[in-house]
Amino acid sequence: MEEVKVGVFLSDCGGQIAKILDFEALTKFVKDVSGVVLVARGSEFWRGQGLQAIVDAVKSKKINRVVVAETIPKISEVAIAKAVEEAGLNPHLMEVVDLKNHCAWPHIDTPEEATEKAKAMLLAAIEKAKLLEPIGKAEFPAVKAVLVIGGGAAGMQAAEDLAEMGFKVYLVEKEPFLGGLAAKAVRFFPTDDCAICIQSPASLTTVTQTSRKCVYRSGLSEIPNLNVLTNTKIVKVEGSPGNFKVTVERKPRYVDEKKCVACDLCTSVCPVEVPDEYNAKLSKRKAIYVNKLLVYPPAYVIDAKACKFHECAKCFQVCPTKAVNLDQKPEHVTLNVGGIIVATGFREYDPSVIKEYHYGEYPDVITHLELARMLDAFGPTSGVPVKPSDGKPAKRIVFVQCVGSRDRRWNPYCSSICCMISLKHATMIKEAFPDADVTICYIDIRTTGREHEYYYERAREMGVKFVKGRPSEIIHDPATNTLVVEVEDELLRRLLELEADLVVLATAMVPSEDAKELAQILDIELDQDGFFKEYNAKLRPTETKRRGIFICGGAVFPKDVPTASLHAHSAAVKAAKFLMNGKIVKDLKVAVVNQDYCGNCQFCPVTCPYGAIILEPKGDGHFTAKVSELLCEGCGVCVGTCPVGAIELSHLKSSQISAQIKALLSVNGTSKPLVLVFSCSECGHAAVDSSGMAMMSYPANVRVLRVPCTGVIQVQHILEAFKAGAQGVMVVGCKPDGCHYEVGSQKAKQRVEMAKMLLQAYGIEPERLEMLNLVFIEGDKFAEAAKTMSEKVEKLGPLQLS
Amino acid sequence: MTEEKPLDFAREITGRLGGETITRCYQCGTCASACPVTKTTERYNPRQVIRLALLGQRNDVLKGDAIWLCASCYNCQERCPQKVEVADVIYALRNMAIRGGNIPAIYTEFAAALMNEGRLAPMSKFLEKKRAEYGLPPLKPANTEALKKILAATGFDKIMFRKEGAT
Ligand code: SF4
Ligand code: SF4
Ligand code: SF4
Ligand code: SF4
Repeated sequence: MEEVKVGVFLSDCGGQIAKILDFEALTKFVKDVSGVVLVARGSEFWRGQGLQAIVDAVKSKKINRVVVAETIPKISEVAIAKAVEEAGLNPHLMEVVDLKNHCAWPHIDTPEEATEKAKAMLLAAIEKAKLLEPIGKAEFPAVKAVLVIGGGAAGMQAAEDLAEMGFKVYLVEKEPFLGGLAAKAVRFFPTDDCAICIQSPASLTTVTQTSRKCVYRSGLSEIPNLNVLTNTKIVKVEGSPGNFKVTVERKPRYVDEKKCVACDLCTSVCPVEVPDEYNAKLSKRKAIYVNKLLVYPPAYVIDAKACKFHECAKCFQVCPTKAVNLDQKPEHVTLNVGGIIVATGFREYDPSVIKEYHYGEYPDVITHLELARMLDAFGPTSGVPVKPSDGKPAKRIVFVQCVGSRDRRWNPYCSSICCMISLKHATMIKEAFPDADVTICYIDIRTTGREHEYYYERAREMGVKFVKGRPSEIIHDPATNTLVVEVEDELLRRLLELEADLVVLATAMVPSEDAKELAQILDIELDQDGFFKEYNAKLRPTETKRRGIFICGGAVFPKDVPTASLHAHSAAVKAAKFLMNGKIVKDLKVAVVNQDYCGNCQFCPVTCPYGAIILEPKGDGHFTAKVSELLCEGCGVCVGTCPVGAIELSHLKSSQISAQIKALLSVNGTSKPLVLVFSCSECGHAAVDSSGMAMMSYPANVRVLRVPCTGVIQVQHILEAFKAGAQGVMVVGCKPDGCHYEVGSQKAKQRVEMAKMLLQAYGIEPERLEMLNLVFIEGDKFAEAAKTMSEKVEKLGPLQLS
Repeated sequence: MTEEKPLDFAREITGRLGGETITRCYQCGTCASACPVTKTTERYNPRQVIRLALLGQRNDVLKGDAIWLCASCYNCQERCPQKVEVADVIYALRNMAIRGGNIPAIYTEFAAALMNEGRLAPMSKFLEKKRAEYGLPPLKPANTEALKKILAATGFDKIMFRKEGAT
């Protein structure tokens, strides 16, 4: 192997920290470390002349390992790595330490002690650098095609976005027609235009770029690259991110989409009538039908549950284009896509479980989607709200808010759009029938969106009555066929009995029925309410734990159409970003299994937060863990889990951790006992950074060792630190539910607890070990804890190791 | 407003059996319109009792007569969307009131009857006649000695009659 030649570059940050740290002493110290062939001092090394000095040393082959003392490693590291790579050295043969924020600033009052600590930090970096090995890159194929599941407002939008960006798109909808829930909603807030409008594709010459477009007249079929598969469901997903193989089942439509001219002759001859689900069963339709005019696809469909097929075959006989095929069979198709977007939306909760409201028992108690169908001029009652019990127009209408939402018995969350839906419906009724007596019973009216409060205002102006109080019972008076709503008007402190012809329940919005099954097929998670779970709602919305699979719209949480569209754009952009290069290139900073040691215990495949480890047969009847280089995020949680040390990280080997532990504890220079801190590279390290940046002081006998994630730490590492001379050990990671690698800091907590038990068994005070969960803004907490730990171990006295 | 912080009183209630769920209340009023007592008198409204309690109005709640009007029908508790155990909260408040010495006279009378006669309803000629009509045997006097021992062991007597040692 090539001889290791380390170059050390010491930045004094423009002389700033030279007032505290003795740079001459540091230079002298470093020069004497074996393997170091070059030591340079400057005011900065991550850009300009300083960086050039590193590049020159690398180019001239004088050095082949780079150690830089530079502030904020997270930023400077990137610039230096790039330059080093261009100079011809593998960019991973490099280590950066932050002498400013981790040493000079926090120990400004004890400059001598700080200088000794700086020596230890530099030594640790050099010892690690000497053990570093080059890390290569790998390339994986990324098929430039995307599957969008769900043809509602969000799914159509995402599909259109991607198709226009040049990706091949398969838009799969389980129903025979596109449109989803949105299409049934008559009108949308906050624009009050009709519900079937979505953004138009710019590629269509017939529609101007800024004009909106109707779901039904959009010519979705004319968008190049967009393949719409209705009546289709997902059966199986195989492969990996960038290259999925998805099997879908196309249910028979029994009508050839290409031949059907929507002449409607078939429905006139069809003898079977069934309740029309599209119209909330308020009307009937034939066994061969179309949802409404101009629907997409513009082709009829046969309801297999209702049709008598060859017993009747009237439609087949009458169809002028021979589009009807009663013998069509389900068909399995395999799609090869690089990414998947889930946009399966939400649905109305069935409120019949809420006994006090008697939905399903009293016909005149309906849901707001049922009302929406009535308010549709093309709907079953031609725009008139009627009493389903006798078909008479409803004059007195009471809305009940939060039905099954904000209710711990059913769904604890606020469904977030039902206040607006009721306001929209109430004003629509008042507009058409000013004499109608409309009352909304509410707990809180939530109108948080753009323009939403105006709806509330307008509703009051139009005479809609608002009662603050949640009804406790709906009673039916059979003598008059009237409903009575019992509610307390809290503001008047009066009990009311509101008489109503129609009671509209603002029913909760819940995940679509097939969410669970689909989540299983895709191997992604649902949240506690059953919606698809975003990887991180703040930083990584519309992403899931599985790379290449995205989620948007009501599938994530109930949304109005404008928000669902925005969400869809987000998912589309993420999918595009992921696939646009046609390949996925990544550094092989991954876990590596030593097959000879792997004991087939199955711990790591279960622990890996990214499902990156599988067990593979070895051929001799045994199995061995195998890491997917594509899926592995390099967190090291598996390393901490493996009981026999069979896995290590390519970018942080066990030997490198040990070397750093020893080095950091080899120089003390203070009278106080040494404390070693293992910090993760994310929030934990940021907290240490911020304590230094703000010059919050803690003693210089506290030393920090950075690991990718605290999940990498084994009990062994903690014991090793004590053996190497630490009198106290701290582990600093992200918040348990904010860990950048999902479970890392939770796993670390378990291991710290385990180590505490072991320490006790060895007769060592367990309080010498502590775990903290911090974020960037908690630098003060880190400084405080470091001080406390230092004082604590001082009081406990020297560690007795037998 | 009283001197204490509103939450102190609420915490005291949640620390008691039956009172645990009170802070969940979001004042929707379902309990009020479900309550048969509220329908008949303005003196009682479970939502209002909870609101006063959460605002720390200790005296209004514990010294007033509202909490003693609940009929324990559990209509409210069944319907509360926040799963506040409304009727049980009322019990917790009653227990707190009693500990504080705010006992409506009728309850002291009940307690005395229980201690002395072993029954809440005193025997009467009318009752005995009714029993005979239904063919029921005459009632025997209750074993109040055993009962007294039990009630003393549980501290019932001290709490009810403010004897020394009550907490
Ligand atoms: S949006 Fe309004 S009606 Fe719907 S759950 Fe929230 S508060 Fe209740
Ligand atoms: S390093 Fe992390 S992502 Fe990679 S295999 Fe191990 S646990 Fe999984
Ligand atoms: S029903 Fe429950 S949440 Fe509503 S006011 Fe009564 S106790 Fe509070
Ligand atoms: S339990 Fe009490 S408060 Fe609740 S409804 Fe019955 S009487 Fe009213």
